[in-house]
Amino acid sequence: MKALTANRLDDGDVVFWCEGRWVRRFADAELFAESGPAEAAAALARAQPTVVVDPYLIDLEEADGVLVPVAFRERVRALGPTIHPDLGKQAEGGAVIRAMQAATGAARSAGRLGLIRKK
Amino acid sequence: MYRYDQIDRDIVADRCAEFRAQVARRLSGELSEDQFKPLRLMNGLYLQLHAYMLRIAIPYGSLNSAKLHRLAHVARTWDRGYGHFTTRTNLQLHWIRLKDAPDILDSLAEVGLHAIQTSGNTIRNITSDPYAGAVADEVDDPRVWTEALRQWSTVHPEFSYLPRKFKIAVTASARDRTAVRVYDIGLKLRRNRDGALGFGVLVGGGLGRTPILGQTIREHLPAQHLLSYVAAILRVYNRHGRRDNIHKARIKVLVQSLGAEEFGRQVEAEWRAMDHAAVDLPDDELARIRGAFGAPAFEARPARSAAFEAAKAADPAFARFARRNVVAHKQAGYALVNIALKTPGEVPGDCSADQMDAIAELAARFSFDEVRLTYAQNLVLPHVALDDVPAVHARLAEIGLATPNLDLASDIIACPGLDYCALANARAIPIAQQIAARFADPELAEDVGELKIKISGCINACGHHHVGHIGILGVDKRGEEFYQLTLGGEADGDAAGDRSRLGDLLGPALPYARVAEAVEAVVGAYRRARAPGERFVDTYARVGLQPFKEAVYADAHPA
Repeated sequence: MKALTANRLDDGDVVFWCEGRWVRRFADAELFAESGPAEAAAALARAQPTVVVDPYLIDLEEADGVLVPVAFRERVRALGPTIHPDLGKQAEGGAVIRAMQAATGAARSAGRLGLIRKK
Repeated sequence: MYRYDQIDRDIVADRCAEFRAQVARRLSGELSEDQFKPLRLMNGLYLQLHAYMLRIAIPYGSLNSAKLHRLAHVARTWDRGYGHFTTRTNLQLHWIRLKDAPDILDSLAEVGLHAIQTSGNTIRNITSDPYAGAVADEVDDPRVWTEALRQWSTVHPEFSYLPRKFKIAVTASARDRTAVRVYDIGLKLRRNRDGALGFGVLVGGGLGRTPILGQTIREHLPAQHLLSYVAAILRVYNRHGRRDNIHKARIKVLVQSLGAEEFGRQVEAEWRAMDHAAVDLPDDELARIRGAFGAPAFEARPARSAAFEAAKAADPAFARFARRNVVAHKQAGYALVNIALKTPGEVPGDCSADQMDAIAELAARFSFDEVRLTYAQNLVLPHVALDDVPAVHARLAEIGLATPNLDLASDIIACPGLDYCALANARAIPIAQQIAARFADPELAEDVGELKIKISGCINACGHHHVGHIGILGVDKRGEEFYQLTLGGEADGDAAGDRSRLGDLLGPALPYARVAEAVEAVVGAYRRARAPGERFVDTYARVGLQPFKEAVYADAHPA
């Protein structure tokens, strides 16, 4: 499973793709079971350079019955700084937030690798 | 303190207006992200994990109360009410919106602050001794020369597109408080046997993925030739630096490949061919800059303060603070007061807007309106009358910044790491918090003594881990946060000589959950092995890695 993420251009906020629009909460993100629709969404996102910066697909896995980002980096992006539970989207709470906070393990992030390639 | 003249104000105002137009063009789509990114970086604006991050320059780490109040205002108005002081004596705000950036820069410009050259392949914010102008062992005020370099290097057309970023540090004391050997150029101001003022010039230091200590290419450069000589170094670097490979583009790689002797020879040849008078600072301009750094109007005070001594006798907490954080001043009856932004449980280097305001008020009332930043992510009130230190301490205690831990185990350098930084592999701040918690007992911390722990969340080494007594580097191991420990690093020196060295790798990387206990085990091994009076690094130099390996890995379970 995959989701599509980016940072919003005007404020840098982390956003996720949902059926042609961008949403702030990972819980509201569109989840892609097939790579074809995911890549198609990514292509549409790349055509929105005045809305978002550097969109990319992230891998998801199930944790306690909830799909969450595999990469720890992506969970931090979706939550906020681990040292400030009152800051970022984690402050809003909810079942998906709790699942991401409880998730363990990690994987390399496509976002970081993309950033290094472009540096 | 140097105050911007009309030229400085015009440069900053022009840049603010230029960047406002660039942001508007980016938001409208006239500029692509690839076109805009180098422009925003030239103004210190990065895109990090959660938002944009603005890195504000604090030239040679020197602030007055108006500037610190303004930083508090910006943090409160456009960010989340706090900022992060860095190892490069900058302030980073981590929750900035692009659309607000032009207004923020305008606000900063009103008090002579900006973010110019806090990123990009140019000469970055220049650092100096946070104790400048306040200690007896300096041969001259290094801020005079640092300010000259700042003016000369600001939007310098020849050096705005170097092969890679370029960092300069200036010190004028035998005691190095700048980590001068890990800079691209390190300048050590001193007098030769004839009493003439000159710079020892070091080049090619740096950390990151290729840690190298700078080497001396000139023992004594007559001080008046500072600008032309630095220009010569930069010209050689600009000519031969590896623009084809970002990992080999820093000057340290060039110096290493040519050899310091050959690099120095080329610099000398370049310098001798230059018209020095066209580049070096005219005497009248040097005098103008020097005039901005005159001594404050110190009062004649006895060297011993009855109020200070009485407070020490009455309050053990104050006595400990006086012992750890208060440093002798060159002026009788005064002291430097270090404010450690390292309260156990808090984030190293973080300072809330309310704390900034409170410190600014202390500076205005008790320290001739001056505050300094240190590369260890702490602050200094450089000119406090001994009589006033108890009142300063009391106010610092009220705002949670009176921890008496300067240079102790909980005075940890940590980069923002994976909690904020888009490049990080691993978190640094929570590791620092876990270690600090284990050494929060002031009795224990003082018994352990000087111990400089430095943590970086990736190989870029913003946390200076290579020169930590205990260095900790976050790495990506099969996609998970792991941490390498190095021991015995140091970036210090004094009248007895330079002690800088890079740490040695202890062993296999440890998982996140084991780092704090490993550091505690290393400290335990030190306490068992140390001879009377030995610091951690002294014991390490004597006994080597083995006792520490045994302490950490004896019962290790393979990860």
